[in-house]
Amino acid sequence: MFEITFADLRYRYRQFLIAVIGAGLVLAMALLLSGLAGGFTAEIDRTVGGVGAQWWVLPDNAHSSITGSEVFPQSDAAVIARSPGVTRAAPLVIVLQQVARIGSQTSNVEVFGVQIGNLGDPAVTAGRPLSGAGQVVTDTGVGAALGTTITVGAMSLRVVGEVTDRSMLGGFPVVYMSLHDAQALAFGGRPLITEVVTRGTPATLPPGLAASGNQAIEQSVLTNLSGAISSINNSKIMMWVVAAMIVAALLYVSALQRVRDFAVLKALGSSSLALFVGLALQAVIVALAAAVFAMIISNFMFGLFKQPVAIPASAFATLPAIAVVVGLIASLVALRRATGADPAAAFG
Amino acid sequence: MPVSLSIKSLTVEFTSGGYKIRPLNGFSCDGDDGQLMVLLGPSGCGKTTLLSCLAGLLTPTSGSIHFNDEEITGLRGRALATYRRHTVGVVFQAFNLIPSLSARSNVMVPLRLAGASRKAARERATTLLAQVGLSERANYRPGQLSGGQQQRAAIARALVHDPPLVLADEPTAHLDYVQVEGVLRLLRDLARPGRMVVVATHDERITQLADKVVELTPHLPAEQREPREVTLGEGQFVFRQGDPSDLVYVVQSGEVEILREMGDGAEEHVTVIGPGGYFGELGPMLNLPRSASARALSATVLTGCSVQEFRSQRPGHLGQAAAQS
Ligand SMILES: Nc1ncnc2c1ncn2[C@@H]1O[C@H](COP(=O)(O)OP(=O)(O)O)[C@@H](O)[C@H]1O
Ligand SMILES: [Mg+2]
Repeated sequence: MFEITFADLRYRYRQFLIAVIGAGLVLAMALLLSGLAGGFTAEIDRTVGGVGAQWWVLPDNAHSSITGSEVFPQSDAAVIARSPGVTRAAPLVIVLQQVARIGSQTSNVEVFGVQIGNLGDPAVTAGRPLSGAGQVVTDTGVGAALGTTITVGAMSLRVVGEVTDRSMLGGFPVVYMSLHDAQALAFGGRPLITEVVTRGTPATLPPGLAASGNQAIEQSVLTNLSGAISSINNSKIMMWVVAAMIVAALLYVSALQRVRDFAVLKALGSSSLALFVGLALQAVIVALAAAVFAMIISNFMFGLFKQPVAIPASAFATLPAIAVVVGLIASLVALRRATGADPAAAFG
Repeated sequence: MPVSLSIKSLTVEFTSGGYKIRPLNGFSCDGDDGQLMVLLGPSGCGKTTLLSCLAGLLTPTSGSIHFNDEEITGLRGRALATYRRHTVGVVFQAFNLIPSLSARSNVMVPLRLAGASRKAARERATTLLAQVGLSERANYRPGQLSGGQQQRAAIARALVHDPPLVLADEPTAHLDYVQVEGVLRLLRDLARPGRMVVVATHDERITQLADKVVELTPHLPAEQREPREVTLGEGQFVFRQGDPSDLVYVVQSGEVEILREMGDGAEEHVTVIGPGGYFGELGPMLNLPRSASARALSATVLTGCSVQEFRSQRPGHLGQAAAQS
């Protein structure tokens, strides 16, 4: 007996449309929040993966992460390079949260000091690669044009090349420079490094050092963002709740408008359960329509965030299921309207 | 199969705003096969309440309804559902069609709810709409139909299970006279052997078509009754709230308390009438049930008389004691 459910949806379509748009916008926000959390993973995956290493050798302690500040002598890089199993090895200096001045603008950047021509030296998408001191290759997010000069710390550096999608920690762009320049920037020129990256698995390592895979390195960076990620996930749940409330409000109003209809339907032989199932079905349909609307418009809403947004496929896949739950919860507000309908009221 | 209806001492009590009201108070009547019975009475006299009981949608406080020797008031659960579905067809006041559905779909609803296939329901609805002369408007929604057309769709819906008892509540209330004629003709034709039609209305014109007219608040006999003396002991009631109103009472000696009976069994004191005072005039005058009870506080002698008699004796006195009616 779902004819009535669908006929009523068509009859009151304006009302339902408002709820679809309202709940849809909110669900789109939820999708974007998934994208924001997903963006943290995606950016570190590109930035770490872009180095082209298999293993990262860092000081072996509880905080060993590329966001840590532990250093070790550059000479260890040569030792690791000679370790059996290693086909290539390169020293890196990663210096986080440096202020870069581009003209009159400033922005926070992550500095990667790389050995020119070795692992970590980025393939540029525009301009040319690093070829010596005083040069930088910047992520497009820095906003510095090729050929211009930017200042990092006390150093002036010329932008020779550009890369895309290299950022960390929620959208901070990466600036690549020579290992020497990075050591000058961070360590007063002393030959210290923060990690050695390798291809091939090192059989032995200098004492105090340990190797981690790309996955472990990415995870250790994300740990720094766990607070932000959980805030985002909480906000996402809030969005689902708001969507449920919008659908519930609609359903409540529509159930109020249909009090007489319910009484008549009961007098004509309908059960409370059938009435409730009809209402719940409407709520689920509205929520699903809102989910579809959300999936479409979320593509046009990326601009709302400065951070990289990458909506994971799983977020799209689970949204319909969430919509069904949202609809069912929303339909509970109309439960009493359906069960409480008095068939005798049909006479009134 | 010939049908029969027998209503005995039917009483329905509601609690409304804290007061008990009794729109039906020991109501009895019988109906025969093929009859068009009209329940006539002013608004608020309990017509709809009676139809609700007949439809099996309201359980009376006491009394019994037998339809074809089946006790309706005793039905529960599945038996009640079957009675509602297959024995009674109801044409509600204000049509009560589902606004989102076409006339045809509205007629199909009870069939579909009873488990008929879409196709079967559609065929039956089409036949019935043709019977009530609504074939061309079958695909229109109630909002696009005139009152008379809506009423005819509602009648078609009431007939889907070919019920032996058809109830219609104020079937002409929302119609102009052109539409009234069509609807009444339809109801008149429905009353034939094997079926009974009960129409509730305050429209006296309909009584012309009726086989039987039942007045829900019977008018007092036209002849003037002689005033009569009533003697009561302490604590005895002159009348109870909800009783039908007949006489106006004048206190000769003793005292009478006027009180309201509340829904929770409590009493609300209104006033006390002493010798020379009178009470209970508004009920018989307006043909309303007693709105309060009257109880003797001590051994009391009253004179009860008709409104006309009271008027002729005490011109100008009516209306002053409205609260004591
Ligand atoms: N569910 C109810 N609760 C309380 N009072 C009711 C209820 N239904 C009807 N009444 C009262 O009972 C009286 C008779 O009502 P009704 O049967 O609708 O009269 P009619 O149909 O003759 O106009 C009215 O005073 C009405 O207010
Ligand atoms: Mg009525």
